[in-house]
Amino acid sequence: MASTPIGKDRLLSLYRNMLLIRRCEEQLAKSHQRGLIHGACHTYVGQEAIAVGVCAHLRTEDAVFSTHRGHGHALAKGVSAEQLIAELYGRATGCSRGRGGSMHLFAPEVGMMGTSGIVGACILQAAGAGYSFKLMKSAGVAVAFFGDGAVNNGAFHEGLNLASIWKLPVLFVCENNEFATEIPFRYAAGNPTVASRAASYGMPGLDLDGNDVLAIHAAAADAVQRARQGGGPTLLECRTYRTRAHAEGMGDFTYRTREDVEAWKPRCPIVQLRANLLKAALASEGELAALETQVAAAVESAHASAEKASWPEPASAATHIYAKASTSPGTAAPGLMREITYMQATLEALTHEMARNPRIFVLGEGIGKRGGNFKTTAGLYDLHGPERLCDTPISERGFVGLGGGAAMTGTRPVIDFMFADFILDAVGEIVNQIAKIQYMSDGRIKMPILLRGCIGIGHSAATHHSGNYYPMYAHFPGLRVVVPSTPYDAKGLLHHALRCDDPVLFLEHRELLSLKGPVPEGDYESPFGQAAVVRAGKDVTVVALAFMVQRALKACETLAAEGVSVELIDPRTVAPLDFETIARSVQKTGRLLIVDEAFAPFGIGAEIAAQISDHGFDDLDAPIRRLNGVHTPTPYSPPLEHAVVPNVEAIAQAIRALVAE
Amino acid sequence: MAIPITVPRLGWNMEQGVFVGWLKADGATIRAGESLFTLESEKATEDIEAFDEGVLHIPANGPSNGDVVLVGIIIGFVLQPGEPIPIAPLTPVVGKEGLGVRGSESRTKNTTFKQGASPPSPQSSPPVTGEREQDHPASSPRARRTAANLGLDWKAATGTGRTGRIRERDVLAMAAPVSSTRRIIAERMLTSLRSTAPVTLTTTIDATNLVKLRKEWKDGLVPSYTDFFVKSAALALEKHPVLNSRWQNDRIVPCDGIHIGIAVDTDAGLLAPVVRDVLRLSLKELSTRTHDLVERARQRKLSLNELQGGTFTVTSLGAFGIDAFTPIINFPECAILGIGRIRRCPVVLDEQIVIRDQVTLSLTFDHRITDGAPAARFLQTLSGLVENPNFV
Repeated sequence: MASTPIGKDRLLSLYRNMLLIRRCEEQLAKSHQRGLIHGACHTYVGQEAIAVGVCAHLRTEDAVFSTHRGHGHALAKGVSAEQLIAELYGRATGCSRGRGGSMHLFAPEVGMMGTSGIVGACILQAAGAGYSFKLMKSAGVAVAFFGDGAVNNGAFHEGLNLASIWKLPVLFVCENNEFATEIPFRYAAGNPTVASRAASYGMPGLDLDGNDVLAIHAAAADAVQRARQGGGPTLLECRTYRTRAHAEGMGDFTYRTREDVEAWKPRCPIVQLRANLLKAALASEGELAALETQVAAAVESAHASAEKASWPEPASAATHIYAKASTSPGTAAPGLMREITYMQATLEALTHEMARNPRIFVLGEGIGKRGGNFKTTAGLYDLHGPERLCDTPISERGFVGLGGGAAMTGTRPVIDFMFADFILDAVGEIVNQIAKIQYMSDGRIKMPILLRGCIGIGHSAATHHSGNYYPMYAHFPGLRVVVPSTPYDAKGLLHHALRCDDPVLFLEHRELLSLKGPVPEGDYESPFGQAAVVRAGKDVTVVALAFMVQRALKACETLAAEGVSVELIDPRTVAPLDFETIARSVQKTGRLLIVDEAFAPFGIGAEIAAQISDHGFDDLDAPIRRLNGVHTPTPYSPPLEHAVVPNVEAIAQAIRALVAE
Repeated sequence: MAIPITVPRLGWNMEQGVFVGWLKADGATIRAGESLFTLESEKATEDIEAFDEGVLHIPANGPSNGDVVLVGIIIGFVLQPGEPIPIAPLTPVVGKEGLGVRGSESRTKNTTFKQGASPPSPQSSPPVTGEREQDHPASSPRARRTAANLGLDWKAATGTGRTGRIRERDVLAMAAPVSSTRRIIAERMLTSLRSTAPVTLTTTIDATNLVKLRKEWKDGLVPSYTDFFVKSAALALEKHPVLNSRWQNDRIVPCDGIHIGIAVDTDAGLLAPVVRDVLRLSLKELSTRTHDLVERARQRKLSLNELQGGTFTVTSLGAFGIDAFTPIINFPECAILGIGRIRRCPVVLDEQIVIRDQVTLSLTFDHRITDGAPAARFLQTLSGLVENPNFV
């Protein structure tokens, strides 16, 4: 079905590239048996035409995202056989420096932006890369390769829809090999074709023979061209079959028969192309044999060097979790002090940063013309238009995952999610992808994404608009978690968040949004990991977070009148958490109370208490105490709601009790 | 009417003391003049006398032996027969001041009581079992570290935490008697240096005859060299009374009598018991007297009276191999004499090098009261007596 004639060189190159994948996979299967591969090994045998046919149209700067079965995509996008094999052998020379293995291949240098062990993530990330290309007005194209197992996943639905409504330059390439591990597609899908689903999203969908490299090549040519020209995304369903087990070493005949597999072998894309080349007299037997020998030798040599390559240094096991701090935070020219609200303070920071950095864009529900539910983007739409102030459908996993892909490819998304409760649907994207990419790519991919929105109990918002959640995010390596308590901090921390290369959860307590405080006119950065000593004291240390800082401050005043001198510390960021300032205070006072609206079990207070017990045990003159919001979903009725949040008197009482310990 | 028994102030700067123990049992009939209890101040231990008659009532929550108690607090009552037991707050113990409490007024108000008086906390832990009481009490890590730093046994502290836990303040309270002795010494030394114009003169004199003479004393208590210097100093002071006077309200006031303090090194720190009317005592009598004072100083059994009223002080570091030093005047006295070690030295005598016993005297005097020449003349007189000890 090749509509455009293909030259001999291109045909031989397709043949050579498929063969390279096949020989590498055969080598890896052998090496798996020999114990050279330490974890899983998912081969691409039988599906080579798809990666090769699509990637033939891609440039280095185009971005490919793939799945757990990504060896072929990596090789087709330009990762060397040696880098691939060394990665599976766990060597320092592997494309992910030994951090990933079979399922996590990163080579941003050649546009291989990553494969993932999580099904569906690549769809959203490719959409995000498409967003970057569109925003930066480059002609780049993003491709997501995924299996039939991904199409019944929310990411597929959300990703395709977002790409379609925004006309993103993306190819969604579904390799339908009939089984999601062992679950047959015919069982798992109500609609027996994937291609036809494209209609649901208003994009073209093609049903292709995935073993016909020329068919794939031709369809991809059109789709890539359309994408580059702003015509939007295409869904390609490539029907194929893997003729090896789901993973090396796994039994294959519990869900299919030997006969089924044998029946597909004659349809091998490499065998087919070879026969066609000979038949059409486009290559001689001798030419092809020479090429085959050459590929075999290349793979053999790649294996030999990979086997000899050095192991990664154990000391490097936890490097590149975060980006290096790019600039030292400047506090220059803060300008005139005014009293403005917390919300106005963050809007000032965002306005300033968007003016100076064209790569910043905002995604969220109602953040465009409307200016945000909490006026977080008021006035910015008129300045920057719909691409940088982009309203989203209610599609949290979709736009968070998309944001991750955008951040990976050179832009700086701000995800304005309104309420922290809403993005729980996207926690997988945050924790499994956004938090891990810098590490998995050995620091070669940055993740400058800001996820902002409200937390906190108040005004009878009830349980789906009141969660705090920051302890959960602080648990994971790779995330920065910010909980400002004053307008001044909110502005400085937002400036810093928009200049740092790490993913930041910027969580604004709703009861603080209208709090007024002194804020300088100019821009300034408040660095992460530096607690504020809100009030100095000598008898007892109180650590309070977010809205609790304001309440604790009032309790301090009550206690001061009773002759108790309280030192109040606001960590400002919980990841990183400034234990040093807390420890120094406890060294002085010998007493520590943590006041946190978030839940006590496994929370920030528990962590602080453990750290202080570890490093400041001998400073303690009393047990460490916590005062938290009640461990319950948030109720609606005012008396019930008030009963679950520590109030000023409860804080004062907790301090008194601690002093009496 | 019930007569309260309070902690008296022993000495001008006492603010707290250690309650050593009752000398009478609860319910005992008390006659005026009898000793009621023993109280230890920074420098002395005194039996406190009853001034009223009646029946002694010792409340259950009164101080335990060894507690540090504030001056002025009520620790018990003398009741008249048939009189009801008064209900009154008792036994604030030092170191129980509330955190952050400032000023003595609020301190009194906020002192917590040893037992019973504080309301049970709603969050209190399960009651401590009898078995647990056999163990050492609960303590905070900070309290234990502070105790270790101060060289104290934290187990000896009285815990004032909610559950009786020993807190840092309890350890500090325990450290108070020791550190207050030190504090008193520090204050006195500083007061002396700030209030006087001290000059130290040193001279090395021949003690050969003195050494010889002392060897001849055989029977009974042999007077120490210090005794000899005390006696000699008294004789010299008699001739140079300006060194036996004090600066008082811009006037130089001669002292009544010559009463010499002797510096004694004790476990609790430096004490200087006073030998009164030294001129009236023979060397032997003096020796008996100093021996007794030194012994009791080391046992902390001196009365306050025995530590007060000196007009001059003698201090010796000879036993530690010290030759000369700059003693600090025991304010408000005029001068202090430091005695070095007696050592065998080659000395030129009649153009011959001979072996002689030598001693260096260090006299610090208050240059406000007198000048270098009179002080030097005093030293000359003293040297003469040492070199010709038979006159003493």
